[in-house]
Amino acid sequence: MTLKKKVRTKFVKNFSKRFRDDKTTLMMYARDMSDLPTPVKLLFKTIPNGVILPQSTEEIQKIFKLAKENNVSIIPRGNGTAGFGGAVVYNKGVVVDCKGIESEIFLDPFEQSVIVPPSILFNDLQKKLKLDGFSLCVHPSSIYSATVGGWISHGGYGVGSVKYGGATDQILELEVVQPNGEIKTTNSKEDISLFVGSNGTLGIITKVKLRIKFDIPLYHRGCTYDNPEQLLNGLNELTKTDAVSIWFFNLQHVKEINETFGFSLPERYVVIISKEISYEEERDEFNKKFIDVIRTSGGQILDKRYIQNIWDIRFKTFALLKKYQDYIISEAILPTKQSSKFLRKLIAKFKNRVQFEGEMISPDKCSIIITIPFEENISPIQKTMINLRLFKQVLKSIKIGGSPYSTGLWFAGYYPSIFGKEQYSKYREMKQKIDSKNISNPGKVLSPRVKLFPILTLKYLIKLVSSVL
Amino acid sequence: MSSSPSWQVDVLEYAQKCIYCGYCSVCPTYKELKWENNHPRGIIEQIKLYYFEGTKEELKIEVSKQLFNSVFSCTMCHACEDICIVDIPLLKIWEQVRQEAFKKGRWSPALLSLYNKVKDTHNIFGLPPEERTSWAPMNNLNMSKRTLRKAPVAYFLGCQASYSGKMFDIPVSVVKILRKARVDFTILGEDEWCCGSPIFLAGGYSIGKSFAVHNLEMLKKLGVKKLVTACSGCYRTFKIVYPRILGEKWDIEVFHISEFVEELFKNGKLKVKNKIKEKITFKDPCELVRHCGLMEAPRNVINQIPDVRYEELPSNRKEALCCGGGGLLKINNDELVKKVNEHLIDEIEYSETDIVVNGCPTCLDTIRTGTKKRGLNVEVIDLSELVKRMVEDKK
Repeated sequence: MTLKKKVRTKFVKNFSKRFRDDKTTLMMYARDMSDLPTPVKLLFKTIPNGVILPQSTEEIQKIFKLAKENNVSIIPRGNGTAGFGGAVVYNKGVVVDCKGIESEIFLDPFEQSVIVPPSILFNDLQKKLKLDGFSLCVHPSSIYSATVGGWISHGGYGVGSVKYGGATDQILELEVVQPNGEIKTTNSKEDISLFVGSNGTLGIITKVKLRIKFDIPLYHRGCTYDNPEQLLNGLNELTKTDAVSIWFFNLQHVKEINETFGFSLPERYVVIISKEISYEEERDEFNKKFIDVIRTSGGQILDKRYIQNIWDIRFKTFALLKKYQDYIISEAILPTKQSSKFLRKLIAKFKNRVQFEGEMISPDKCSIIITIPFEENISPIQKTMINLRLFKQVLKSIKIGGSPYSTGLWFAGYYPSIFGKEQYSKYREMKQKIDSKNISNPGKVLSPRVKLFPILTLKYLIKLVSSVL
Repeated sequence: MSSSPSWQVDVLEYAQKCIYCGYCSVCPTYKELKWENNHPRGIIEQIKLYYFEGTKEELKIEVSKQLFNSVFSCTMCHACEDICIVDIPLLKIWEQVRQEAFKKGRWSPALLSLYNKVKDTHNIFGLPPEERTSWAPMNNLNMSKRTLRKAPVAYFLGCQASYSGKMFDIPVSVVKILRKARVDFTILGEDEWCCGSPIFLAGGYSIGKSFAVHNLEMLKKLGVKKLVTACSGCYRTFKIVYPRILGEKWDIEVFHISEFVEELFKNGKLKVKNKIKEKITFKDPCELVRHCGLMEAPRNVINQIPDVRYEELPSNRKEALCCGGGGLLKINNDELVKKVNEHLIDEIEYSETDIVVNGCPTCLDTIRTGTKKRGLNVEVIDLSELVKRMVEDKK
């Protein structure tokens, strides 16, 4: 499990107590938010050979130098809060826990930007910005646990994306230590977009300049729809109101929310829309527009007394899982105009057990978190099979112009579906140039070979198995 | 050290409920230590390994090293439990793991020494009971008539206010306030035993229970109906732990000094006589705000000051930062306490306040050390001291 003695000595010499390879620590770093079913674990060697907690850009350079010289894989890790396996070891290697990389936070009120280390948690950053009257334009729904660096590497969208865009649009400048040891500082959108969603395969982010905005209070309204068609149509229309967040969930999810939080929301598709409002006239104008949209899209206005209650649980809906013995989660990006059949099939496939909540991430796309909860314990084999069936459903979104949310390990090989073929060829070109030995997070983005059947890539193995189910 | 079944929770069952969302990244000591092993969700992962019957003994021993170290690196600030979206009683679990560490002989010598001191002398300093009342004559107060007399109200000083010279302002102020409001009150004097908080935090049950039983017996003997304390650790113990341990037998109404004084102001028994011109802020002690949900009473008391210049710290109420001094961390890892405390001192510096008011001797001590080290020109006082200044007659 450990590194070769000579190699280990080099890491210990350079990082002293900030290099660990005791069994317990290694096991703690063998997972992210999704724990793998046992049969799947057989395909990988998820327990790392070591963990390093570097503190500076120079130390990251040193790590890559040592890794390259000794042919050791490096697996960068933010806070491990995504569920796509992006921070999980594929086949041995040393995990680099980026939470140790700290630097001063520099806020520029004139440029409306903030320079932060990758380790900062979104909630901590948001609190700091609010003290000066500013706010992040976009943050993930996992605001309490996601780090800025992890979110970028995962290919983040979030609350605010419908108005302000995804992670690429938020980054004004990025400092990355590339696997060849070079420090790259870039403000080119083209370059930045390659680092977003690349799961650290192009290096480790060490500094980020993010776009910020004035902290304007949010005003919330809500509405309901009867079926997926109406919902998707409504979502499209609602984007015309210049909202900062359009958050929605299906009726199974509404039932759970009512039960868990003691609400009495109507059991329909519910949408909560949030708009930045600075003055009364703006609010009146928004209300007028909102009512018009609801009228034309066949929705019903949700009583205002529900709204604040729901917003209070905005980032706590995973609480719904507490009464279940097990659950399976996945995430996809869908085009709102073509997805009604997809949603209907998804619900039918899992016999109305599917709960989903989503967020509009652009005027015509939304991201949805799909959850299948289980009241009873399920065996690892059952879990694997249901996982694969859900995996297959998520892949079906590609046919209608959607995609998995991120590549990570599970969707490695689907980068072109998520970011487009043109960007994929640029990514490959850059990867080849700076990391020809593939030491930076192997197994992610580009589909790896399967340990037990090396003629197959993971992408095709999973596709093959899931197509049989 | 043994424990009753009702005191225990099914550690493994709760651990299985963790969904690994990572919201417990709010943990102040994890933010300093940064290793996944110190993350509350990481501790849960270690618990799954340690308590699972199928885990090999060799691995259990290996895991226990990190696990015991991690649970003793916790300040018990309750931030993780507050934010946990699947409601895992994390602190109860930590207490149980601490107890397991005791059984395995893995407590640090300093903790063991504290435990023995409390067990043998009934106070955290290991000092003789006769010295429990020495704060009074040292401050020209005669408490002999108030000690162990029948009264509806008892003032429970706690070990720090009784023995620590740095904290004598607290009992002196409380006594002056109670006298001023003509409250018929008593103190237990030499018969006051530690509330048991450090014992319970260390995971002790049976010894802690004997302390609870003794204190209850003494209070009952004196006909006490209401118990007032200015120590948030004692308050939490009386409010949460004693009912858990003593059940219905514990029928005494418990007040933090802020709640009691709030009532005295409401009933007109106390009146503000002096303005406080300095800018004031209040640092919510974790044991008051997150453990017991007490947050408005101290603010209501401070707001009695006419034209008060009051400003909240950036992190306040349920989001208040931990001072770092709780959960026995001071005796386990003082360096870590200082690191955690730095963030609170940053906020105090940012607030540009003149007086930091607090309601917990442990916080008070930690904040005083931190502000002194930073060289801040700020006064750190207990709420009782502020109230004393508000109500005392002008000289």
